[in-house]
Amino acid sequence: MEPDAQLVQGCLRGEGPAWEELVRRHTRRVFNLCYRFTGNSTEAEDLSQEVFLRIYRTLASYRPAFGAFPTWLTSVTRNLLVDHYRRTRRDRLTDSIEDAMPKLENKQSAARTPDKLALASELSGQLQHGLSRLSPELREAVILRDLQGLDYSEIQSVLAVPEGTVKSRINRGRIELARILEEMGLRPQN
Amino acid sequence: MTDWNCARTEESLSDYLDGTLSPAEAAAFSAHAGGCDACGKLVAQVGGLVHQMRALDALEVPPQLIPKILDSTLGPRHTQSAGWRRRFAWIPQLWQPRFAMGAVTVAATLLIVLYTAGLSPAKLKKADLSPANVFRTANRQVHLTYARSAKFVNDLRVVYEIQTRLQPDAEPSPSITPAPAPQQNSQPPSVNPQEKSQTSPHPGHSEARNGTMLASLINTNWAGNFAAIMLADATRSPR
Repeated sequence: MEPDAQLVQGCLRGEGPAWEELVRRHTRRVFNLCYRFTGNSTEAEDLSQEVFLRIYRTLASYRPAFGAFPTWLTSVTRNLLVDHYRRTRRDRLTDSIEDAMPKLENKQSAARTPDKLALASELSGQLQHGLSRLSPELREAVILRDLQGLDYSEIQSVLAVPEGTVKSRINRGRIELARILEEMGLRPQN
Repeated sequence: MTDWNCARTEESLSDYLDGTLSPAEAAAFSAHAGGCDACGKLVAQVGGLVHQMRALDALEVPPQLIPKILDSTLGPRHTQSAGWRRRFAWIPQLWQPRFAMGAVTVAATLLIVLYTAGLSPAKLKKADLSPANVFRTANRQVHLTYARSAKFVNDLRVVYEIQTRLQPDAEPSPSITPAPAPQQNSQPPSVNPQEKSQTSPHPGHSEARNGTMLASLINTNWAGNFAAIMLADATRSPR
């Protein structure tokens, strides 16, 4: 946390290298959150860019008292994702999801190889597919907890909901995701 | 904890996996999950899923993303190659038609100026570029041009003077062109000055003949005309 606070101070003094370092440190986190939420690499890239543009403009309003910088960054990202989700909801409804699904499954079965790396990326793709079928509330809770590794209090401040709600969303999200993956013919191994 | 049921198992599944249940609750949970097939399966599935998700590596960032972010926030990157590119960014603009046209016009103007100053770029020598030589050639060229134009103006003045003197004589004879045809032995109207000089001093020169000379002089080149006019003037002057 300490280096982040120093970098933020540097940015506020107008130091370009400090901003560059801050971007390099956190782009992966932001991009992963965007990708896991949208399931689309191009959209995730555009959204990540938008997140950092917003951070760059509003950095002066960040106070360490609000919480650690990564938590603030995550909540900015999450708010943009929710905005994006609302903006594109109509487009998604008109898109035929059923049309897109068999194609995705065919592609995955065609790419099946015994390679461990390929298995890992296949799991990642299947997980992505399952996540896309979760409601956005449950999806963001699961992503933040199990893929981004945030603790309950951090998620609570990102989502701005009570801890009980956070817990129940994570729990319901996990159970639904497991059921979706089972429907898809996948059984996670311990 | 005999009232522990499937709904409660589902509800406290994450707490169980996180290890945040009280020992008594955890024992009841385990007892139910061990006895209930559906709950046992669910616990195994969710437990496995959470384990797998946590083990999953974060995705690599696309290589162009960070430069894009820095470009959109800090402005175009100030890398070394970008610096050079910016320094020569104006060069491609020169290929725009309007700049190319402008450059061609300037080059053409320079060529014309050089030519009139007596400096042919093809015959240009190093010595011609010394200021004294440039001045001398330019000075010579200016004087030559002035002399030529002065001569031209003088010649024109003479022509007009002759024309105005001949005008009252030409008026009485309206048909001047058909008249010379039989006398001139089918010569073309544009006669060269030598022949004129031979024919004109002949005695009995009619007014009509003067008229034909004027007509022919209009057709021939002005140097020849000048000679012819001088002769015609000479023949007329005694009267």
